[in-house]
Amino acid sequence: MRRALDALVQLGVPALLVVAVGLVATTVSASNKVYFENALVSVAVVVAIYVFVGNSGVLSFGQISFVAVGAFAAGVMTVPLESKQGVLSTLFPLLRDHTIGNVPSLLLGAGLGGLFAFVVGLPLMRLNGLAAGIATFAVLEITHNVLQQWTKIGPGATTLSLVPETTGPLQGTVGALVVIAVAFAYQRSRLGRQLRASREDSAAAAGVGVHVHVQRLWAFTLSGALAGFAGALLVHQLGSITTEQVYLEVTFLTLAMLVIGGLTSLWGAVVGALAVSGLDSFLSQAEQGVHVLGLKLDLPSGTRLVFLAAIMAVVLILRPSGLTGGREARLPWPWRRG
Amino acid sequence: MILGVLDFQTLTDAVGLGAIYALMAVGIGLVFGVLRLVNFAYGQLVMAGAYTLAYTSAWPLAASILACFGVVVGLALAMETAVFRPLRGQSPAVMLVTTFAISFLLQAIALILDLRNGQLGEVAASLTTLAQPISIAGAQVREITLVELGVAIGALLLLALLLLRTTIGLHTRAAASDFRTARLLGVRANRVIPASVALSGLIAAAVAVMMTVQAPLVTPDFALRETIVVLVGVVVGGIDRLWTATLGGFAIGFVSGLINGLLPTDKTVYLPSAVFALVILVLLLRPEGLFAWGRRAAVPDRV
Amino acid sequence: MAEPAVELESVEVRYGAVAAVRGLSLRVGEGEIVGLIGPNGAGKSTTLNAIMGVVHPHAGDIRLRGSSIRKRSPESIARRGLALVPEGRRIFAEFTVEENLRLGLASGRKRNGGNPLDRAYELFPVLRDFRRRPAGALSGGQQQQLAIGRALVSEPEVLLLDEPSLGLAPLAVESVFEALRGIREHGVTILLVEQRALHAVALADRTHVLVGGELRLTLNRTDAGDTDKIVSAYLSS
Repeated sequence: MRRALDALVQLGVPALLVVAVGLVATTVSASNKVYFENALVSVAVVVAIYVFVGNSGVLSFGQISFVAVGAFAAGVMTVPLESKQGVLSTLFPLLRDHTIGNVPSLLLGAGLGGLFAFVVGLPLMRLNGLAAGIATFAVLEITHNVLQQWTKIGPGATTLSLVPETTGPLQGTVGALVVIAVAFAYQRSRLGRQLRASREDSAAAAGVGVHVHVQRLWAFTLSGALAGFAGALLVHQLGSITTEQVYLEVTFLTLAMLVIGGLTSLWGAVVGALAVSGLDSFLSQAEQGVHVLGLKLDLPSGTRLVFLAAIMAVVLILRPSGLTGGREARLPWPWRRG
Repeated sequence: MILGVLDFQTLTDAVGLGAIYALMAVGIGLVFGVLRLVNFAYGQLVMAGAYTLAYTSAWPLAASILACFGVVVGLALAMETAVFRPLRGQSPAVMLVTTFAISFLLQAIALILDLRNGQLGEVAASLTTLAQPISIAGAQVREITLVELGVAIGALLLLALLLLRTTIGLHTRAAASDFRTARLLGVRANRVIPASVALSGLIAAAVAVMMTVQAPLVTPDFALRETIVVLVGVVVGGIDRLWTATLGGFAIGFVSGLINGLLPTDKTVYLPSAVFALVILVLLLRPEGLFAWGRRAAVPDRV
Repeated sequence: MAEPAVELESVEVRYGAVAAVRGLSLRVGEGEIVGLIGPNGAGKSTTLNAIMGVVHPHAGDIRLRGSSIRKRSPESIARRGLALVPEGRRIFAEFTVEENLRLGLASGRKRNGGNPLDRAYELFPVLRDFRRRPAGALSGGQQQQLAIGRALVSEPEVLLLDEPSLGLAPLAVESVFEALRGIREHGVTILLVEQRALHAVALADRTHVLVGGELRLTLNRTDAGDTDKIVSAYLSS
């Protein structure tokens, strides 16, 4: 009973927070809505990364590769047929002459992301520490390079545009919830618990028969599928995308979100994504002048990035275990006893 | 066949690039040794030095270079006090991600400073005469390549002397090998760590001077890409030891230089993929480092 | 009565929720050898680490000649004249023997003239012969001598030793204990953690038995022959 309640809280609190963000998004002006949609997609991306990095304790710089694959697959396959044959004429005929719906494109993103992650993870999941970090970074570089150059599978170095903008508050909320639910189910499953045990002590876990390599591969594949799904959400939110938007900067930013929230918990991933996106949106507004508690806040233009980076650095220095301390959501103290 | 197209100029350029990357690898490796911290913001030290050179280009050359060294070492020490010290003993992920934030912060500040005159980029042109080719034994070599080689070899020798022959060097090596025991013996963390960071700053300043000769236009992302490549080289070479890290840096610089010189640009579109595929292959075959022969898995000792 | 060289008062050290040392009080007088024995996990190494500042006690106080050192860093404690020969020797295998000894000078304490390394070379002549070799090439016993020599070159007032006989051949064990007797002659105060209970009791002025993080019993040198007493102290947990 007690444990069921804990589980309900651990899943329910992040889910309610996401729903709240989605609900607020429907009430604000069209120009502000984009910030909330952004935050919802960020939650999906960061939770997807968390599924591997948080559960395994292995730092990966490669998860944005799967976001990129999901985004370009879903984008290319949903550009309307009549425009596609004009702007994307270099594609393989199979890709050029077919188009799919919104939901199938999300599933395609997830499938391709997972498949790619599995193939990559098969050799790479043997690595640890910095070697794993650099190898996954190499995957990001290769993915970026190929997507940028190979015009038979995508737009190459030009912008992919005319993608239907289906990720509004509803799709953003539902999408983030799906990712959170899958991540939660995984970390409570036997596979997830074994991987988390190996994070604490991989030698001991191997000693009791946990195959760390295989466990990591599962998490990497699942994380890749969720990242591909999140990438599809992203492209449908933006409507147009270039390879630079799913490359280095977003890799560092999403990892920072995860660490700032608290690397080792689902709650940390959700809180980190929302806190940093929220801060970023606030600072963007402040550059144009906002009223806060009766005071007019007007940042000089161009200072948004300075404040964002400085605040992230200060939070990391003062709270290295993250805003949530790496713990899952819990009821406030008075309800926790008994 | 390859030797047929490998002219002297390409070879020396590749060696020169390898030398610069080797120096950056030493700067990154020194700090990693004593702090177990991968300083992603290392490139922004170089960037700060390059901007200093640009803004002081009206000064006498020696004063300009001195200012560059002063700013970079000062910034490195400030980073140590404000960021590295409070993070000592934290997990590698937290330390690395914090240096991402610092890297972004410094780039954002540089962007604002740079844009005050309404256009992006500043020119650091005081030393560009060194980029002129001169003739040695009938072959054309750019003067900077020789300077690079001289500075890199000189700096590496000085560093080796410092580490192998002085007391602070002995303490630094001990701290890098087993900080806990070193402290038990009385090695002061608060002396060894700032010393290493200052030294890495000196190296960054020297790199800034040399890189601005090659590429005088300084922008906020100056040295960012190079830092990433050097980090890859350092891990591929073996980050646990300074000399394997340095060799890794040299190797990746030398190989990049050779490839750039040998392949026509229209053939190089998939080159990054090939290079990074090679990186993955090496990491899979030798996860402890390409040059880390007969070494057991390192046990990281944090302060 | 004179201030004891080292004094622990109701010291408690916890690792997370687990208390490794509980309410431990003990004194080591000037020039004494005090032994600390007990089964694995009794908190012996933790006690030494707490004195040396590697871990900080959660309660109680640790004093060196009457002044508290409980919140100081290892390097500042080394500077005040304490030296620890850590468990497993912890020599720098890739450094030469001489470099290892020079690291012992890192605490920067004032020294009498002459070559500061001579102290170690006199006690362990083999170290002088091998001073240019990598320390990792020495035998186990020689490495232990190096670890003790490294601690001695700083001319500590108090020497803490954590299981110096661990993993050594019987002959090497004897030479280590022989060296400790020689070190005592120089007036160095010694706190010795040992698994070889009989050796420790025979050498030390007093030997405390630590069980489950608490002092169980104190043995005198005359108890060295009384194996039953030592064994029952161990088993009384």
